[in-house]
Amino acid sequence: MIESELIQAVNDVFADSFEIPREKLTPEAQIFGDLGLDSLDVVDLVAAIQKKFNVQVRDDERIRSIRSMQDLYNYLSMIRNEQKKA
Amino acid sequence: MEPQMAQRTTLLSRLCVVWLNISFWSVFALASILFLVLGFPYCYLFDLLGRNRRRTLWLIRRTIANYGAVTIRCGWPLVRVRYVDYAPQEKPPFIYVANHRSASDAFLMAVLSVECVEILNIWPSRLPFVNFISRVAGYLRVREMPFEKFIEAGSRLLAEGVSIIAFPEGTRSGSCQMGQFHGSAFRLAQHVGAKICPVAISGNEHIPSRGSLVMHPGRIVISKLPAVTCEQYKELNAYRLKTRVRETIQKHLDAQSV
Repeated sequence: MIESELIQAVNDVFADSFEIPREKLTPEAQIFGDLGLDSLDVVDLVAAIQKKFNVQVRDDERIRSIRSMQDLYNYLSMIRNEQKKA
Repeated sequence: MEPQMAQRTTLLSRLCVVWLNISFWSVFALASILFLVLGFPYCYLFDLLGRNRRRTLWLIRRTIANYGAVTIRCGWPLVRVRYVDYAPQEKPPFIYVANHRSASDAFLMAVLSVECVEILNIWPSRLPFVNFISRVAGYLRVREMPFEKFIEAGSRLLAEGVSIIAFPEGTRSGSCQMGQFHGSAFRLAQHVGAKICPVAISGNEHIPSRGSLVMHPGRIVISKLPAVTCEQYKELNAYRLKTRVRETIQKHLDAQSV
């Protein structure tokens, strides 16, 4: 179960950094196809996420498999759990 | 009587398509041969005698634009092209950003009448003719060079007064709905503070259709919209900038289709 506050925080990043309307930020939305980010925008997205969640994910290989918003929620939830355990 | 009339109209429109394709492809082939046989030796001779690389590049790009201008008239009178400049007082160089519906888009850019190069995706480079011409004219192959090199080459061209044409959808949409934009051209604009000029192309979805070489009669309208200046976009990041420009083009196309 993914916390709603995490979803809210991720959506805030998209809304603030990219001015994407919140109604478009659904779990099934494809980051490249539906939201229109390209590989260079992803660099900005990673920087914004690092700042928002205070994590270092730039070199994490798992980022490459993220396609949808749901993938991103799951990934950040996993990172958060890993941080808690550590 | 009515079915007979409809049958006659269908027959007539089919005849128009056949006539258009025979006449267009014949004139296009002839223009292409002349372009290769006369245009390039002329440019080579000019380079040999003048020994001025910059002037030679200008001539090559001018020759390509003339070839494009001839090509877009090959379908006349069944294919008509109209160019509307909504800000004729604005001076180049620009980064022109256009929607991409058909293979004819690259040729249609000849109406802009400025020295320019296009940003190319991978697939046009696979066509020997396009590959040769694009290399000689110094087109930007964004997918085949590191991004830093692209920025460097683009900045140099703009500093020389050469405009850059981008189709940021990257591939033909084939319909009236635009695809998502890639951000390279917009990042280049932000890097050098270049003006971005949105260009809306409509009416050529079937001239020719995506994945086909069959030309259909129609009326193509190319609208050069007012440029977005550095002052106007300096607060925006690349994503917001490309989204704004995309919306501007889409809004214009929607207004045209009403």
